Amino acid sequence: MAAFISGFDEQNKRISTQQLLQKIYGALDQGETEFEILASGHHDIGGPLWTKDGKPLKFTVKNPGQRVGSFGLEGTEIVVEGPAPADVGWLNAGATLTLKGDGGDTTGHCAASGKIYVGGRGGTRTGSLMKHDPSYDMPELWILKNTGSFSFEFMGGGIAVVCGYDSEKFESVLGDRACVGMVGGTIYVRGPVKGLSKQVWLLDLDATDQNFLLDNMPVFLEKIGRPHLLAELTDLSQWKKIVAMTWEERQRLDRISMKEFRTQKWVEGGIFGDVVEDDYERVVNFVNTGEDRLKVPHWQNKLYGAPCQTACPTGIPTQDRINLLRQGKIKEALELVLNFSPFPASVCGQVCPNLCKDACSRQFIDLPVAMQELGRMSQDAAAPPKKTASGRTIAIIGGGPGGLSAAWQLSLLGHSVTIFEGDKEVGGKLRQAIPMERLPREILDSEINRIKEMGADIRVSQKIDKNSFEAMQSDYDALVIASGAHNPVVIPFPGHERLVRGLDFLKSINSGERPKVGRKVVVIGAGNAGMDVALGAYAMGAEKVTAIDVQRPAAYQKEIDHFTALGGDIQWPVFTERIDENGLYTKDDRLIEADTVIISIGERPDLSYVPREWLTDRGMMDVTDCWQSVKNDKVFAIGDTIKPGLLTNAIAGGREVAEYIDAYLNGWELVPKKKPEMIPQEKLSRELFIPQNRGRFRITDAKNEVNRCISCGTCRDCSMCLETCPEGAIVRTEKEDGNVEYNSDDRYCIGCGICAGICPCGVWAMEKMFP
Amino acid sequence: METVKINDLACNDLPWKVIYDTKRCTLCGSCVAACTFGAIKPKVERRRKSFSDTETPEPKISFSATPVITQVNILKQFCRGCGVCERVCPNNAIRSERNPDSRFTVVSQALTGASPKRGGRNNLEVQARTLDTIRVGRISQMTDPSLDAQRHTFDCLAPFGRILPAGKLPLATGSDGKLVKNGQTPPVRWIYPVIIGDMSIGALSWRMWEAVAMAVSYLNEECGLPVRMCSGEGGMPVRLLKSKYLKYVIMQIASGHFGWNRIIKAMPHMVEDPAGVLIKIGQGAKPGDGGLLMAAKVASHIQAIRGVPKADLLSPPNHQGLYSIEESVQKMFLSFNAAFKFRVPVAIKVAASATSVSVFNNLVRDPYNIVGGFFLDGIDGGTGAAHDISLDHTGHPVVSKLRDCYLAACAQGRQGQIPLWAAGGLGKTGNLAADAFKMFCLGANGVFTGKLILQLAGCLGNEHSRCNACNTGLCPAGITTQEPLLVRRLNPDRVAENIVNYFLAMDQELRKLMAPIGNSSLPVGRSDCLVSTDKAVADRLQVQYVC
Repeated sequence: MAAFISGFDEQNKRISTQQLLQKIYGALDQGETEFEILASGHHDIGGPLWTKDGKPLKFTVKNPGQRVGSFGLEGTEIVVEGPAPADVGWLNAGATLTLKGDGGDTTGHCAASGKIYVGGRGGTRTGSLMKHDPSYDMPELWILKNTGSFSFEFMGGGIAVVCGYDSEKFESVLGDRACVGMVGGTIYVRGPVKGLSKQVWLLDLDATDQNFLLDNMPVFLEKIGRPHLLAELTDLSQWKKIVAMTWEERQRLDRISMKEFRTQKWVEGGIFGDVVEDDYERVVNFVNTGEDRLKVPHWQNKLYGAPCQTACPTGIPTQDRINLLRQGKIKEALELVLNFSPFPASVCGQVCPNLCKDACSRQFIDLPVAMQELGRMSQDAAAPPKKTASGRTIAIIGGGPGGLSAAWQLSLLGHSVTIFEGDKEVGGKLRQAIPMERLPREILDSEINRIKEMGADIRVSQKIDKNSFEAMQSDYDALVIASGAHNPVVIPFPGHERLVRGLDFLKSINSGERPKVGRKVVVIGAGNAGMDVALGAYAMGAEKVTAIDVQRPAAYQKEIDHFTALGGDIQWPVFTERIDENGLYTKDDRLIEADTVIISIGERPDLSYVPREWLTDRGMMDVTDCWQSVKNDKVFAIGDTIKPGLLTNAIAGGREVAEYIDAYLNGWELVPKKKPEMIPQEKLSRELFIPQNRGRFRITDAKNEVNRCISCGTCRDCSMCLETCPEGAIVRTEKEDGNVEYNSDDRYCIGCGICAGICPCGVWAMEKMFP
Repeated sequence: METVKINDLACNDLPWKVIYDTKRCTLCGSCVAACTFGAIKPKVERRRKSFSDTETPEPKISFSATPVITQVNILKQFCRGCGVCERVCPNNAIRSERNPDSRFTVVSQALTGASPKRGGRNNLEVQARTLDTIRVGRISQMTDPSLDAQRHTFDCLAPFGRILPAGKLPLATGSDGKLVKNGQTPPVRWIYPVIIGDMSIGALSWRMWEAVAMAVSYLNEECGLPVRMCSGEGGMPVRLLKSKYLKYVIMQIASGHFGWNRIIKAMPHMVEDPAGVLIKIGQGAKPGDGGLLMAAKVASHIQAIRGVPKADLLSPPNHQGLYSIEESVQKMFLSFNAAFKFRVPVAIKVAASATSVSVFNNLVRDPYNIVGGFFLDGIDGGTGAAHDISLDHTGHPVVSKLRDCYLAACAQGRQGQIPLWAAGGLGKTGNLAADAFKMFCLGANGVFTGKLILQLAGCLGNEHSRCNACNTGLCPAGITTQEPLLVRRLNPDRVAENIVNYFLAMDQELRKLMAPIGNSSLPVGRSDCLVSTDKAVADRLQVQYVC
């Protein structure tokens, strides 16, 4: 006989939930295990209650309030004879709860074991947060009809069955947005489902599922008193199963990849496809090879000239000479220079101011390469082979350095040359004006002999006048005017008739005449010729020589040092007013005492044999950039007849005019020769060379300069690039002609520029592949 | 002997120093191969030392010549600090370090006679951001039902277009007693409250611009997020104009009017209306200055689309022919409304300024119902190229100005009629959702963002002067360059994916802020939700001060 517990007092007034629950506890203490409860919305009926001896408890409840059966333990059975409001079976911990009517919101909320049978509908959030503790049986939640929205949110375990009976008017028997956050458990559902979470699977039943429903459906229907629905609800074709995606499955993207979007849905070929060429599949790294490099190396051997080569008017490539020495080709090295100048010993080795040395990159490490010594080594070198005779004849007027250089080069080219020299012997100013102590005769003579051996027809003591010059024009295929400048310039200040002309003075010394000078000598003009004159004056017995100039002396320091070492004095700026027997008076009325005043401010060419209209206003030959007379294309002019210059300028003129004449005789277009651009110092890696101690430096054998010459702009074949290239992309090839070539392989090169950054010679350069 | 003179540019004059460890370097060449600025180079270093290791002085010399990497001291190639060298170095041997003793501003002006320029951002900002002093402080804690960010339906939409108040809607009662429409309503697009801000096809590489367009289209088509982008000044690719994806793009017209020839010519071929038109008057990063696209970026397709030769392209600082607010309404708003037959909303963008409220008040009257939005761009905004002087010393923060405009509308009872959109450094610290949310609460209907999108693409720049070389066309990430070699570095699919993912994450974050305050629609003007720990900010913005 069940204990009857009423929710009303004697006056039939409703008692509180607390009072009702206390009544149940009292009856339980008195050993009651079956309860019939007439409630009036009283909450929390049914749990958590137990007996000490484990006897089961049974509650039959009418009209309960919220949370009926909540916290119910196993051994407790609760039957509600109608509907119940929210939280039926909340946190059910093992009770069996049968609700014959509808359940309110959150029916079965958090149930983790036990069974809940609902004979009607479930409210919103039915079954939410259901779980399964693996130490106990799975919770089950059976719903005959349907649920409200948000059902089974965050479900983590257990089984729910929603039978969808009498729910035809609903779009979804699970309401809207069921199963959001569901991570576990199984829901069997019969009827339409819409708005389901995207993180669950809606599946067909398998055999286990079918057996579960077939086995348990009769129990459920029996509990809620609807056994006659069995056939209708066990048509398993109407059932589906919902399970949560596994954690792994959730990691998958539920949308197409961007690449799929681009290739399948996006504007075909890209929205810029009509204006830009691009293959979107190609994405490069920060560091790339081939055509994706930001910079590309080029081995630019000899693109730039070495400073020695470009500073030298004759353009002698000393770096090539030294590279030949380095390769052990000593003969070739010593002969190479003869392709440029027939006077390596006389000029390079003796009298040239050596602009090459002033430019030499080695000076920034220690001291310039020994150019003079290298030049002298070629004194006895054999002439290069001549080309086969062309049968063309060329007349050269003047056997000075320019004329001889032209004769030398034209002979090498196979042409037949006749030199017309006014003096008794060729050599020009080298012989006539350069002091012999600066240019020993035997050196000059040996080099002039080498020229003579080339076979030029040398005619000395020739006086050329207009007639003979005109005759020459028809007698020869081409003419070279190389008669130099031999008319000393004299300024007509008062007393100018007392002046000695510098060039005449030097010529007179060199011809052995020993011109007389006074004790005190003033030289007007402190250029290189002026210094020669001043030295000559000392040689002729002067005691005190003063050189004056209107501007900073143009002489090279070497010459000035030589002069001052003898006690000479240079004054500038000094402007001459007049000259008398006392000496030279300056414009500021100062007297520089002098017994002899020599003027050495330059010479003008004597071109009286040339038609006046062939000359410029200044009386020089009027020539094109290829040194061809603008008036007569078979006549060429070089050296001081064009512009005053150094010996080396005249030698350069001879070399270059030979090429122009060769082109002219062959009928080719004459193109002015361009010198290579001087390599910028920053392209070199001079740091790779060990500096020698300047204080201890001595040149013993010029052949040792192979170790000092940087080989600016010309590959020295050191392989520094090849060894340093991080990708091993540089390949060295020996060509058939004996030359060596380096290449960077585009397949491996990353365009880092290390080759260019460390090349001692500045041969490698990086081309930027974008602006 | 070195021959360095006092006025020679030295590396320690430059804003970044390259720090190099020769002991760690294997000379793999990666840094020098990757640097787009030519800021580093290989060279040989001489190591010569005299020493004596005997009892009495007996000098010996040790010598070695070692290839190394070194910084270049050429002004045009100065290191921007982008950090690519460090990124590619396998040995941590090289990095760039900000030079606190930089003389760059002085020497660059002294050497060039020109004002320095950069791309990117305002770098002088050192104080805390206003938005960072604000928290969402009114949380539903039993006072009102809080929402669940995961489960609730949220209406994250903002209007782009003129909103008519209920009383002004062209509605009448028909003979059957039902409402009938008896007039034209202005077009309104309800879109995601975060627009990808205006970055032009010249400023961005074609891959970058296309990636943004793809991301936006993907967000709409595949994720259901109605995000829009603004084209930026300078035209649009014709293929996009003719595609169905045009509906996701807000077209921009700015003072240079670049690219509109092709846009107009494409009109007969358009299958969709654009999302809107944005009239750009000014830009927050460089208010009072016009657009600037350096010649290095005027690639051939830009020349074609814009109809100009390769040259530095300067847009005038003002729309020529516009002299007043009224005229701008008449000319620009009317014309661009008419261009699309009044089907497409038209809004205006101005730089935040001391006078922004006056402009806004004028527009709010809008008797023609053609003003579809007011975009305010603040000082922290980005730019593809600007003079340093503009970036560093002009501008106005957006937060208080947006608030002023909103309150001005409220005072007239017209809030929400002209949608307010705000930008300028939003998302600067990486979290756009928070910044956007606070701006909504202060009165913004929506926000727009630019720099953050570049960050998503892999931009290496930051607000502390790092990289900021968008103007050079040498962007190491391939984002702001038109140089094919560099553009190839950018993976458009990845960029688009990053943008999509960021928007999806931001969408979650917005819900995470909407839920606790109990709003299921955007909390526009709900300044009661905000508190500030800064009294001055609290007072100025009229939000609660807390401590």
